[in-house]
This record gives sequence, C-alpha cells and structure tokens, in this order.
Amino acid sequence: MIQTLTEIRAVLADVLKRVEQQPPNILRSLLAVQEAIGYVPLETIGEIAQHMGVTDADVTGVLSFYPDLRTRPYGRHLIRICMGESCLANHCTRVLSALGDELRIGLNATTSDGRFTLERVYCVGNCAVSPSVMVDDEVHGRVTPSDVAALLAEYL
Amino acid sequence: MTRLYLSNDTSSRAAGTGALVRAWAERADVDLIRTSARGAFFLEPLVERDTPDGRLLWSHVRPGDLPRILSGEGGTPINRLSFLADQTRIAYADFGITQPLSMADYVAQMGLKGLDRARQLSPADIVKELHISGLRGRGGAAYSVWKKWDVARRIDADCKYVVANADEGDAGTYCDRMMMEGEPFRLIEGMAICAQAIGADQGYIYCRQEYPTAQKVLQQAITIAEQAGMLDLEGRRFHIEVFGGAGAYVCGEETALLESLEGRRGVVRPKPPYPAAVGLYGRPTVVSNVLTFATVPSILACGGSWYASMGTEQSSGTIALQIGGRVKQPGLVEIPFGATLEEVLDRFGGGMAPGARFKAVQVGGPLGSLFPVEKLDIRICYDEFAKADAILGHGGIVVFDDETDMVEMARHFMAFTADESCGKCTPCRIGSVRAREILERIERGQGRLGDLEVLADLGETMKTASLCALGGRAPYPVLTAIEHFGHEFMARHYPAMFQKENDHAD
Repeated sequence: MIQTLTEIRAVLADVLKRVEQQPPNILRSLLAVQEAIGYVPLETIGEIAQHMGVTDADVTGVLSFYPDLRTRPYGRHLIRICMGESCLANHCTRVLSALGDELRIGLNATTSDGRFTLERVYCVGNCAVSPSVMVDDEVHGRVTPSDVAALLAEYL
Repeated sequence: MTRLYLSNDTSSRAAGTGALVRAWAERADVDLIRTSARGAFFLEPLVERDTPDGRLLWSHVRPGDLPRILSGEGGTPINRLSFLADQTRIAYADFGITQPLSMADYVAQMGLKGLDRARQLSPADIVKELHISGLRGRGGAAYSVWKKWDVARRIDADCKYVVANADEGDAGTYCDRMMMEGEPFRLIEGMAICAQAIGADQGYIYCRQEYPTAQKVLQQAITIAEQAGMLDLEGRRFHIEVFGGAGAYVCGEETALLESLEGRRGVVRPKPPYPAAVGLYGRPTVVSNVLTFATVPSILACGGSWYASMGTEQSSGTIALQIGGRVKQPGLVEIPFGATLEEVLDRFGGGMAPGARFKAVQVGGPLGSLFPVEKLDIRICYDEFAKADAILGHGGIVVFDDETDMVEMARHFMAFTADESCGKCTPCRIGSVRAREILERIERGQGRLGDLEVLADLGETMKTASLCALGGRAPYPVLTAIEHFGHEFMARHYPAMFQKENDHAD
C-alpha cells in the first residue's frame, strides 16, 4: 500500500503521463490516479493541475463533483448497499441496519481495522434480485439481514 | 459430456449461478457454457440443457441438483414458460441462447445483418429507414432517433461523434446492463450503423462505474469486433472507447454526459444548441441510449415498416420493461407498446410476492410518477403516459407493498434529487433542498400548516423552470405520493396542527 507522500509523488508522475491527452481530461486523470493510489490525496492537486496545464480550481471542482472520487483512503473492501427503489421496496433498510450492527459503523465510515468501508449507492442494476449489496466488484442478491454475517466472512 | 447452459449476467451470478459453476467446474461429465441471461431472474439460478425438442430448464438450482439435471428429471421445456413465450423479443431475442463474446454465436442469429444492409445504403437512406420505423430514444426523453441522426448527417464537420449513453442511473432499471453484458456486439453494431450514417470516426460508450462487468465485457467485445472487421467503414476505421463514469446520476442527462466525457464537472448545458449539432468538443454528436442503438440493427435488417407494424401509432415497436420490487416474478419483459400496466403486472409480474399486498407502483425510475391500484389501466405507450403527466422513462417498474411508508419514500425521492442535482439551475439546486427539508420535517411529525401547499408550489416552479429533466421531473413522485396517499401525510401532520391550534388558544 502506497502511504507516504514521497511514494505517492513517484507514482503520480507516471500515471499522469500515461493518461495524458489533448485536450486534457481531468476526470480521466483523476480516475487513473485513484486507481493507482487508492484515492486522490488533496496534497497532490497542485501537481496534477500543473502537469495538466489547468488550474487548481479546475481539478478541485471535478474532484468534489463526483461521488466516486475519494480524497481519503478507504478500507480493503468497499461495501455498497443499494438504496434504489426496488431494494427499498424489498426493505433494504433492514439489511443496512444489520450491516451497521455487524460492522459497528455507520454510512461513509471505515471499520477501525481498515477492513471495510460502508457506503450506499443508488442502484447497481440488480433490481430483479434485490435487495443488493455490492462488495468491491461483486454483487450479492436477495440479501436478508440474517445473511450479512456470512457474506462479510467471505472478505478478509 | 453434457452441455449445461448458465447465465453469466451480474444478476444471475448475484442469485447464485457463480456458486454452481464453482461446484461443478471440475466435473469431467459436464461442459458449462456461460450465456447471456433469459431475463427470468425470478427463476435464477437456472440451468438449461439441450434436447432434440429444444432446451429444458431447471430453476432455483442448488449444487446437489446436478444428478437430477443429468438424468433429465424434472426439467421444464423452455417454450412452455409463459413468462418468456408471451414476450415479443427483438433486441433481447438471443438472450439466454448465445455466449456474449462469441462472434460466431452472434452471426448465427441475426448478427451483422443490419450493418451489412447499412453498408449498401446511402446515409440518407439509412436515416429514412429509421424514420419509417418511428424509433424513439429509449433512455427517457423519447425523442425521434432519425431526427438526431439527420441533423448530425447534414452538418459538415472535421470530426463527428457517436456516443452511447450507458449511464443507466434510474433505479429499478437494468436492461442496458443486460445488453452490454449479454450481447455487446448488438450495441457496437448499432453504433457502427450510426457512424456510417452520419460519417463519424470516433465513438464512446459512457458506462457508469457501478457496472464493472459491463465495462470489461465491452472492452473485450470492441477488440473482437475490430478484429472481425466490423468497425471498418468505407476504408476508414470507426474507433470505440469505453469511458467509465464516477457515480453522478445527472451524467445520464446527455449534455452533462458530454461535459463529463470531456473531463469536467457533469453540469448540464442549456439547450439549444442540441448535441446533434454542437456536441462533444463542439462537434455534431449523436447521443443515444444503449438500447436505442441496440435496436437499430434489427430495424436495418428487417426494415423500418416491419418495426413500425408493432406497438401503437406514436410508440412503435417494442419496449423493454424491467419489473422489480415486491412482485412474484421480477425480470425483463420485452413486448410491443400498448399493453396496460395492469396486464403487465399480472401476466408477467405474476402478482405480488408471497405475503405482500399491493400499495403503489412507480414507473420510470426515481423521477417517475406513482400509480395507485385504481390507475393501473393506463396503456404503456408514450402518448398515454404524457397525457397522464407521467413518464415511461427507461422502462423501470417498481412495485411497493403496503408496508411501505409513503412519507419516507417521498422524502427519499427528494433527497435523491438534492444529492444528485448538478447545481447549474436554481429551481433544482435550491428547490430540491427546501423540499427535502419540508419532507424531513413531516416525516418527524413536525409538519407545519401549509407545508403541503408549499411543496406543491415549489414543485410547480421546479417543473417549469428547471434546465433538465432531473429538476423538472423530481416533484412528480412526491406530488403523486401526496395526491394518492395524502392521508399518510395528514396523519403525520395532525399532531403538529393540533399543537398549533392549542398554541393559538393560549
């Protein structure tokens, strides 16, 4: 895991070079930085802006607009509970309570051991098999509150 | 060796096909073929095998069921499944049959016939075929597809673009995800036909990041399509790139999508000019939904008048409805326009899930109107929905049961818009926040006299003055909830009103 600012800076230049294009595409660059580092450290905004030939405000504006661009590292596994209409109709709020009880955290928080971050998402397109819980890239369907413990045990 | 067919669609895997594949992968006596999904998700995990009379299927399969399947015990002939047999599958005709990344499978069905025909036609004649078909955009706005193509075709430009809107953000919808995962070549073929018609060299598929599997499948499919020469148009190569989004609902609005594709904040552009004339990087750009592009190959292959012979006068062809929520049989249903909502829910949805009682149905995603049981006789077509001040949107149908708290739902709908508003126009940016605050207050039992009137007033302003459909449609689910389930709002209100009167008495 990349942690120190020196390590981050070393990776940053390579990443930005790899996705360089004309005209510059800020969103694409930030997604690439996040892919490589795990998040977009606020300390790097100036460097990203300079490298791309745009202003710090341009970069900050894009960074704050998109919910999936993160400025802090998150847990080893990202749990996203779907709050779309079909999941709500199938009482996903009960699954959310079970997740909160099991993990002992609320939404948009990370467990103290750094294992899980819990977020909500508006629909993962799994509405025919709802309620849905997405862990990393994997979607779990027809999740009931009693399934939660076993589901989490699959992710170390 | 027995060939068994299991869907590799995200929802099929979420229901358990992945576990079956893991359990049976080492068996020497079975060959596991991963196909697209039938769309009958209520039966998943389902397994099929060949017989001389067509496929047999087993539903809700567990790993221990393999001996039963191999002996042929208890299988149902697929053509006896009324959920599928009663549909008119065009865009989803091959679903459950083919392997998503097999070009041979694709060509063995109707694949590439539309593009072959388009290559023999002039650009004007391709557009004419679409005009005859009456195809309207399936993303939500339902704009005539041929008009966009015609505008882009007629403009001289150094560069033109074809953009597939794969930001399927409406909760309750999944037909685009199924298409991208299940038959990506169909989307690519539709985009290539569009490129041929308008003279574009570059295409983008803007795919939401909640669909990682779809993105991977598309990337592989594009490479295979390139190798097969599918993207070589009149001596030039049509390039397609997949662009992943970053979680903003508003990027499903076409101009916000273009801003996002250019790497900026996904903020809505005022229209006109429309993207067909001034789109990506200021160039003519056809932006259409995934299913719209995926319908085009069939229209070119079988003719516009064939397509127009289905559906109603103003809504030709078929619509892909996605049934979800508290029904017995959630899944994808492709049928001609014109059936009533009630018919669809009974015939395909199979009624309510065990133990659940109907309360309301929402059609068209989080911005769609709610219908109570008395209003289910509405016919599913653009004009009747427009007349009822409702939308078909992207074809999502979500059924709520009587345990649903309508005040909570109304607050959820408005909170969603407040979260997702791009902030460009005032009615949406501020209106949604104020409306959410009022609904939160009512939910807490602290509603004030006149709250519902203020909500109605705010709603009118948002409807008439917002820049795009996000603000313009956001009041509908809330106002229809108040209209049909007003007693629930009043029940929350009364304590506060009673309190107020007492205060005055003092």
